[in-house]
Amino acid sequence: MATDLAPPPVKAAKVAGHKPDRARTLWRYRWLYLLLIPGLAYFIVFKYVPMRGLQIAFQDFVPFLGYNGSEWVGFKHFVDLFTGPDFGRLMYNTLYLAFLNVIFVFPAPIIVALMLNELRINILKRSVQSLIYIPHFLSWTIVASLTYILFSVDYGVLAGWVHEILGGQKIDYVAQPDWFRPIIILQTLWKTTGWTTIIYLAALAGVNHELYEAARMDGAGRWRQLWHVTLPAIRPTIVVMAILMSGNLLDMSFEQIWLMTNNLNRATADVFDTFVFYVGINQGAFSYATAVGLFKGVVGVLLIFGSNWLAKRLGQRGLF
Amino acid sequence: MAGALMLTTALLASACSGTGGGGESSQADANTITFMTQLFGTAPNPQGELHQAIEKFLGKKIKVTWVPNADYPEKVNVTLASANIPDVMVVDPKSPAFGKAAEAGAFWDLTDKIKKYPNLVGDEKVLLNSSINGKIYGPYRTRPLLRSAVMIRADWLKKVGLEAPKTTDDLYKIAEAFTKKDPDGNGKDDTYGLIIPKWPGTTFAASSPFNVMDVWFGAPNNWGERDGKLVPEFDTPEFFEANRFMKKMIDEGLVNPDWNTLDTAKWNDPFVQGKGGIIIDVDVRTTQLLDLLKEQDPQTYGDKVLTVGNLARPDGKKFSLPFSGYKDILAVSKQRVKTEAQLDELLKTLDKLASKEGQVLLTNGIEGRNFKVENGEAVLINQEDPKVKQVQDDVDKAFIQLGTQASTGTTGIAYPRVPPEAPYRKDLAERKERVAEDLKTAVFDPSLPVVSPTAVAKGATLNPIVTDARIKYLAGQLSEDELKAEIKRWYDGGGTQIAQEINDLVAKLGQ
Amino acid sequence: MSVNQYRSVGSRIFDAINIAVLVGLGMITLLPLLYVLAGSFASESEISSRTFFLWPEKFVTSTYEYIFATDVFIRALLTTIGVTLVGTVIQVALTLTMAYPLAKRYLPGRTLVLNLVIFTVVFSGGIIPTYLVVRDLGMLNSYWALILPLAINPFYLIIVKSFFQELPEALEEAARIDGATEMGVFFKIVLPLSKPIIATFSLFYAVGIWNDYMSPLLYIDDSSKWTLQVLVRQLTGADAQNALSALETVFFPTQGLKFAVVVIATLPILCFYPFLQKHFVKGVLIGSVKE
Repeated sequence: MATDLAPPPVKAAKVAGHKPDRARTLWRYRWLYLLLIPGLAYFIVFKYVPMRGLQIAFQDFVPFLGYNGSEWVGFKHFVDLFTGPDFGRLMYNTLYLAFLNVIFVFPAPIIVALMLNELRINILKRSVQSLIYIPHFLSWTIVASLTYILFSVDYGVLAGWVHEILGGQKIDYVAQPDWFRPIIILQTLWKTTGWTTIIYLAALAGVNHELYEAARMDGAGRWRQLWHVTLPAIRPTIVVMAILMSGNLLDMSFEQIWLMTNNLNRATADVFDTFVFYVGINQGAFSYATAVGLFKGVVGVLLIFGSNWLAKRLGQRGLF
Repeated sequence: MAGALMLTTALLASACSGTGGGGESSQADANTITFMTQLFGTAPNPQGELHQAIEKFLGKKIKVTWVPNADYPEKVNVTLASANIPDVMVVDPKSPAFGKAAEAGAFWDLTDKIKKYPNLVGDEKVLLNSSINGKIYGPYRTRPLLRSAVMIRADWLKKVGLEAPKTTDDLYKIAEAFTKKDPDGNGKDDTYGLIIPKWPGTTFAASSPFNVMDVWFGAPNNWGERDGKLVPEFDTPEFFEANRFMKKMIDEGLVNPDWNTLDTAKWNDPFVQGKGGIIIDVDVRTTQLLDLLKEQDPQTYGDKVLTVGNLARPDGKKFSLPFSGYKDILAVSKQRVKTEAQLDELLKTLDKLASKEGQVLLTNGIEGRNFKVENGEAVLINQEDPKVKQVQDDVDKAFIQLGTQASTGTTGIAYPRVPPEAPYRKDLAERKERVAEDLKTAVFDPSLPVVSPTAVAKGATLNPIVTDARIKYLAGQLSEDELKAEIKRWYDGGGTQIAQEINDLVAKLGQ
Repeated sequence: MSVNQYRSVGSRIFDAINIAVLVGLGMITLLPLLYVLAGSFASESEISSRTFFLWPEKFVTSTYEYIFATDVFIRALLTTIGVTLVGTVIQVALTLTMAYPLAKRYLPGRTLVLNLVIFTVVFSGGIIPTYLVVRDLGMLNSYWALILPLAINPFYLIIVKSFFQELPEALEEAARIDGATEMGVFFKIVLPLSKPIIATFSLFYAVGIWNDYMSPLLYIDDSSKWTLQVLVRQLTGADAQNALSALETVFFPTQGLKFAVVVIATLPILCFYPFLQKHFVKGVLIGSVKE
């Protein structure tokens, strides 16, 4: 985009500010710093002060005893996590679902936003957008019960149709491990796509119309306009979303997965988040849960900074 | 905006001052008792009639923190961390969070004291069940001890010409007839016998239809003695016997095809829809089934549900599954109740609340206002009056949760509530007989009072091994030998140690 | 606007498929809501005996009568609306003011702050440590506890910041040459240009507060201050988690009641978006550039 190339307006000032004159820098940007303060205060108070709670990953934390009273156990919980018989399976399941999220769930709202953008009947466009964001408001409990209405081997509406068309043995979609991941991905797509579309629509709202006119004058068809004008315009948003989501790659929706787990598919279904829940039932394991959180956080930080670096290598702006 | 900075500094200072076990929480005010408990509806107003009546009865103010049931454990955890523990907290004594807090001295050990308060002791066996390795942390909330039952479509039974079942073989025959003999008479092969839901829990101390059946065939209730040693339910020949029986029913299509995924919230549906005809669950489900069938057809609903108790195994020997007899205890905080004198004062009040008069207030309401007593039973009155309805709601959805010696009107010292119509009355009357009869053959779980440290540490990994393997066996994914191999894997992974600990701890209790 | 390009056959086929797919998507997202709505007006035995329906055979309003028999729901609804409005204003204001300086690449110290923010996307102290901070601030049982601990979502902050970075610098520069201060640029140039972003994140924050049940549950003991979602949890939360514990009580929330509370808790906030939609109309940005 053109703005990428525009030099920052006060670049000259920045060069001058290289002299170690902090007071002058502070004064020059006083208004900007002032705008920054309330937000910074928020992050310190509500995000960084609680982070001292991360120390409980190295303790046998008992809430009643607090940070100072609980026993210090070092890396015990990490050793338990990494050497436990379930670690390999949990890692595999979590990464597998994360991978499916990346290839199916991430692009879906982009595609839908572009499709909506191409829809020129305004009333239809607005109605569709107002409809597809509804599922965001329905809880996973409701989503799960709808899934059973569709896929149950006994009364599933969709499963019934499929059986009538294809014949053969009835398939128990919700019980079979092989169908677990497709169903989870379908649920996630259904519930989150419309909601995330809103962000991309906001980005599309900012596209300069003159660019389309220029492209048309050059004889570009719809497809080429989409490819050369629309997509580049929302590319920064896509990149930012991709980098941010990479930080939470290993986070799964606990409730969703838990609701779809049964005795037959548990080996496929268990991810870190559900396992922590089971450990919690047995041990009241704040410390173990925090250790898992720390582990996921370290992975997340590596992924965020890694993908940010990659984005910059590829000529994108990245997060910072 | 400079204020924001100052706020930050002040916060950092205050936030670093440490947490937990702190003394800054208010001293127990001798005239106010604070409670925390679960809530199932909307919270009662402290100015409400019932709240006021209870305060008047106790001669003390009460303050209750009501917490929606679904999120109670989270609230308990933050409360334990907050140095704001109420005087009396309803908790699951076996939850690890409570166990650790109690061990750390957050709650009074009442093992020696509780016997002095006649209304708080209740049943000694149940009291022991609610303890942690014999240590009692509070009076328990009583629940019916025997409540397993079989609910059968009575109209179908009549249609296929069979009698109420007495043994598991009878059950099999009924399930078979319900599946094959077109009990709804629509000419289609669209019914099945038994309705089983998904049971995702990973413990054998459960009331799933599977565990009920294990016990019927003579397997232990969770843990049981074999050759002088306690062994788990699944390491007995009877367990395999029971599972062969269930597998046969499943293989022959006598069970709902979605038996390992059906949501427990939809358990009633096939029964009401006329797709399946048998449910094995706690007896209060009969009431729900009657409610639903009554909506469908107010004339005939009474002839559609037949409820029987535990069944004998094929050789005629009967074993019944009892429950723990309690749900949660009322633990007393050491943080606010600091001295023995204060403790005695509080226990005296709790004892008063646990008297007949107190329990009637909590579980029936205000006599003459929302109910009257007839033949020793409670009959609801004036329910059209919104104010009275409010009293009734406060009882049913809130204050009943503080009842220790009375539960839903079937157990304890309050008045049993009489349902309005004949089918309900009949069910309640029969329930009493059933429970008395089944109590004679109850197989108790000797491991209830004890907590095995290894089970706590490794449960998340160990527990699902056998529960999942059993379901996979029933689904035909594992052979019997493979199921046995999984049981061995459980032993090798830590089960041996758990068995040792359970044996030692139970021996130590000297029961 | 020239329309010729839309007349080609390929273009028309594309339009037809596009419309069909999008309308299909709209339908599969609408049907479940209609089912929930129909279920809230159906009798309990109908919900048990019909798998899926969009119109109840027998129209029943008893669930709604039950819900509105007392003023509890109305009070919770008003509380929720109040907290959501105040909270959204605070959250959006804090997010915009923090995102703007962070969008200025020449600002010394910016990278450090950004790193601090990004760190919180992946690490959090957890429920108990955050609870202790709220307690130490004396905010327990206060509505502020429902707003301030969630005042800025780092995820949203970074997206807003990247939006700001895409604004044409030329406009700001022009304003500066005209003698505007940084504050002036922010309020007079940047904010008016950011309407779609403000609309988007007002919606996101508002829905976030509206749907939040954990904060009121943990921080508010006084049940007269509860929000709508806590009531929803009370009446729907007994679900599959443990059927037995629900049976412990006389009161077993019916399916119809669960549907009805979902309807009541969802419909008001669903109506929010269509009002904001006009800000998503194309050309907001360009219109102001031309002025």
